[in-house]
Amino acid sequence: MKKLESRHYVFLGLFVVILLTMLLNVRLEIRVSPETQKMYNYIDSLPEGSVLMVSFDHEASAVPEIKPLALSILRHAFKKGHKLIGVSLLAEGTGIGYRLMQETAGEYNKVYGRDLVYLGFKPQYIAAILSMGESIPETFPEDYLGRPYTQFPLLDSVKNYDNVAGVISIADGSLTTHWIEYAHARYHVPVTAAVAAVMMTTYDPYISSGQLHAMVGGLRGAAEYEKLLKIGGSGRRGMLAQTSAHLYVIAMIIAGNIVYFLRRNKRVKS
Amino acid sequence: MTRKIPQIICALFGMTLFLLYFSQHPTARNLNLTILNDYFQIIFAFTLLVGVVSFVKVNLKAFERGEDRSYHLVSVIGVFIMPLLAIIWGIKGDSPFMWVFENIQVPMQATVFALLAFFVASASFRGFRARSVQATILLAAALIMLLSRSTIGDMIADQIPQIADWIRNYPSMAARRAILIGIGLGSLTTSLRVMVGIERTWLGGDK
Repeated sequence: MKKLESRHYVFLGLFVVILLTMLLNVRLEIRVSPETQKMYNYIDSLPEGSVLMVSFDHEASAVPEIKPLALSILRHAFKKGHKLIGVSLLAEGTGIGYRLMQETAGEYNKVYGRDLVYLGFKPQYIAAILSMGESIPETFPEDYLGRPYTQFPLLDSVKNYDNVAGVISIADGSLTTHWIEYAHARYHVPVTAAVAAVMMTTYDPYISSGQLHAMVGGLRGAAEYEKLLKIGGSGRRGMLAQTSAHLYVIAMIIAGNIVYFLRRNKRVKS
Repeated sequence: MTRKIPQIICALFGMTLFLLYFSQHPTARNLNLTILNDYFQIIFAFTLLVGVVSFVKVNLKAFERGEDRSYHLVSVIGVFIMPLLAIIWGIKGDSPFMWVFENIQVPMQATVFALLAFFVASASFRGFRARSVQATILLAAALIMLLSRSTIGDMIADQIPQIADWIRNYPSMAARRAILIGIGLGSLTTSLRVMVGIERTWLGGDK
């Protein structure tokens, strides 16, 4: 049998720490950050019945982080009585987006066609964003299930971004940038985002300049949003794993540095 | 001639799209819509085809050479199975295509992505050392950010989230803005060079 190396013990330690934390099911208190509060206030302040476009711009790999975020946003929007148009600019997000919209619509007794419509995937995201600015029915002549655009009462008055209160990009990469640079800059539609934590600093300049109206990010953002909505969810539960993993990494950094300084001092002395 | 014609097409379409973007004339907007909806989709279909053919060729060659045969076989089967499922039963709702996507592709990709956490933990132990002043500053910033993105940071001290916000809003954002401006200027310059024919590497070099 191959001898275990130090990295294998590090891997094993992380696995055990996350497993134990999940089994313990500790309830951690979370403080809501100003950026999550801003996103919540934005959706909360829109008049009832506002039409929002939700774009699922993420891949399958980010689902564990993106799903709690998306569910929180969708639940809030449906709870406030907003109408949702779902689209996807990344092929992998298409099926996931449809499932999430169907799931949350069912929770709030929303009717497909009247309260929500899922238009599905359009390749070439920049072209799709620009094209929807000119005409949404020409960009998506049919919904995800292949039914004509004109069949749905919700879409009767929706021709382009002028008839949409805002766009929410649910993304794990840089696709929100294209919504900002084309939909906001060219057609002046307010853009907000729910993004993976790793992408948050990418969008900070856009938040600072006001080009991105609001942003909520990562599992922590999802947990904060769930707290604002006063519901339990996978965001708050996921924060347990994330917190324990972060503490483990911090412990590893400290341990690594202690070993480094001890060895250096030993070398200097010898 | 084989290089002149693509260059002329590129310059013509580049200039046309540039002008159409800023024009509010109804004819220009209609033309823009046609290009975005039809031409771009046709180009996408062809690039997809090139990608699939190239992927299959590379994997079949590797299979013939006998390198990691099982992996290449699974890859090629996957490329053919998924479109086949989509063509026969469609891609909507409870179709076999969606079943494979949700029960095989999503968990596999999430697993690969999750493995990063293990490598980060290992790298933090072996490589994240306070070897210099710069490395120490980076290490301190990383520790504060890690604490602030967990729930423990708030419990230890109120200042931790505030310091983390300061790091994001000043040093990090300054660097990010510089990168964004650099990318913007670089993209603009490269686009102009391609349109006027100075940059010809996309045609296969300067020959």
